[in-house]
Amino acid sequence: MPIRGDDAPLRGSYKGEYMYLSKEEEKNLSGEEGEPVAEAIDYMVKFGEAFDAERLLDIVYVHYPAEMAIYEGSVEDLMEYAEKRPKVSVPTTSSTLCMDLDQWKAMGVPEELAIKQMEVVRPHKEMGVLGTYTCTPYLLGFIPPKDSYIASVESSAVIYYNSMLGAWTNRGGILTKYSAVCGKYPEMGYMLKENRKGTHLFRIEVEKENLQTFLDYNLLGIHVGSIVGSEVPVLDGIRTQKQEHIIGMGATLATSGSVSLYHIPGITAEANTIEDAFHGDCPKETFMVDVNDLNEARNQVSTIDGGKVDFVLLGCPHYNLGQLRGVALMLQGKKIAKGVKLWVCTNRMTKLAAEWQGYAQMIEAAGGRVVCDSCPVESHMRSSTCKSYGLPTPYIEVMATESGKMARYVKDLIGCETLLIDRKNCIKAALKGRWGE
Amino acid sequence: MTGNKQKSRIKCKGVVKGVAVGEALVMKKSFAFMGDVDMATSEIIAREHEHFGRKIAGKIMIYPETKGSSGGCVVLMSLAKLGLQPAAIINLKMADYNLVEGAILAGIPLGCLPERDPSEMVRTGDRVKLDTNNGWIELIGIGDNKEIR
Repeated sequence: MPIRGDDAPLRGSYKGEYMYLSKEEEKNLSGEEGEPVAEAIDYMVKFGEAFDAERLLDIVYVHYPAEMAIYEGSVEDLMEYAEKRPKVSVPTTSSTLCMDLDQWKAMGVPEELAIKQMEVVRPHKEMGVLGTYTCTPYLLGFIPPKDSYIASVESSAVIYYNSMLGAWTNRGGILTKYSAVCGKYPEMGYMLKENRKGTHLFRIEVEKENLQTFLDYNLLGIHVGSIVGSEVPVLDGIRTQKQEHIIGMGATLATSGSVSLYHIPGITAEANTIEDAFHGDCPKETFMVDVNDLNEARNQVSTIDGGKVDFVLLGCPHYNLGQLRGVALMLQGKKIAKGVKLWVCTNRMTKLAAEWQGYAQMIEAAGGRVVCDSCPVESHMRSSTCKSYGLPTPYIEVMATESGKMARYVKDLIGCETLLIDRKNCIKAALKGRWGE
Repeated sequence: MTGNKQKSRIKCKGVVKGVAVGEALVMKKSFAFMGDVDMATSEIIAREHEHFGRKIAGKIMIYPETKGSSGGCVVLMSLAKLGLQPAAIINLKMADYNLVEGAILAGIPLGCLPERDPSEMVRTGDRVKLDTNNGWIELIGIGDNKEIR
């Protein structure tokens, strides 16, 4: 069980309300460490009081919500905030932007949008926010100790930190930047042990041959997430050894529902047994899951079965070097069809490594693009952004992807048709420009 | 009159403090600010949504719970910058931490955990008042129940 960050005796209350602050927190709130820290603590107190939190906790790591130019006023707010000279107080990585900072021109990003987006890099650096611009910071080695408190945005990262690593966080939002500055988060939600116990039991009875690929685990996540909403599912009967299965399943659990934590007895951090997972209690409900549930999950997010494809997306969540290598080998000596775009999304550190090893060049030689810092759903291709910048909508017609999260979001946010097929078939679709008969 | 007043008033937990009056938009299913709504117009764009095509701007949204990615609060904030935010939000289940961050910054009153399900008495188009300072929702006017955009 985590040790409370501050053992200072409870002293007095804040503005007559119920949140207790340590001596140091009160000093910081009164401005002794400067205005940005005072403001940040003030926001954390307001946030905590909204949920009846008793006190603030010390956090050891933050994944920061990088400001995206596709959101109204987001970059402007950062520029104004940066003038106060805030500094992060704990190691802080950053989430995705709305474009690749290097390749935006070739990717058709409107110049006005690009210029605005590029502005964030300097203030981030000055604040001490690391320019990782990725949804998978844990793949870059940001792995806080088990049972530590952190504050993270990006639902697919939140669920990975909570479940696989046992680092405690809620589904962070825009106030996460204030957590980075003051190093605090209110004691509430998944920061409390009692909220981390399993609620629903899922007995997975899918035959081994139907639960093998990244896509299969995405389908499982879609199914379970749509049933449990925001609760804590326990999945029994899974014996995967692959990190990418866990990443894919977590991303979809957090998309079809708002799951932030799940347990797989014997695999995830906080449950060696089913009893552990439920903290000794009984599940509220138990569900059997078979292959029909996975097929239904596919139908929930895949709008078509086949036909013409003009966009293929891999790398949601952002790929690691091994996954880039896998795609490079599949594309070796081949050419993707004319008029088809293939994006393989990752972070720029991994791309540098892939260039050094020659994998990025192999993907590019086949006509694909290794994309950093961003992904389609957060890009200029979003229909609301297309409308603002006079771009055609929908920007693309049919996206083939292995990612349940990407398919779920682009079908409405870009307004394209979606085809949910596994990685090998995504590559085939990219080479042929169509899928199926 | 007092008796009537009691009946059309439901206690709830006040999360983000404030008072709002507006037209109710009642939803049966959970809602994703990331994915279900167009952030340039506030129109509901999820194809399978019961209120597809309607706008959430100025409405008092009543729905079970918030789902989807942590970009949701950024979408809410983005709508607020354009003046297209909902007037208030009422969740039947516990409020979502992520969304509340956006509601705090945008100053949108948010209540949750009502004692009874408001959809027992409130229909889309009715006028409702949410007072999260004191923790209640009240039906203050019946809409004509035609589908108002």
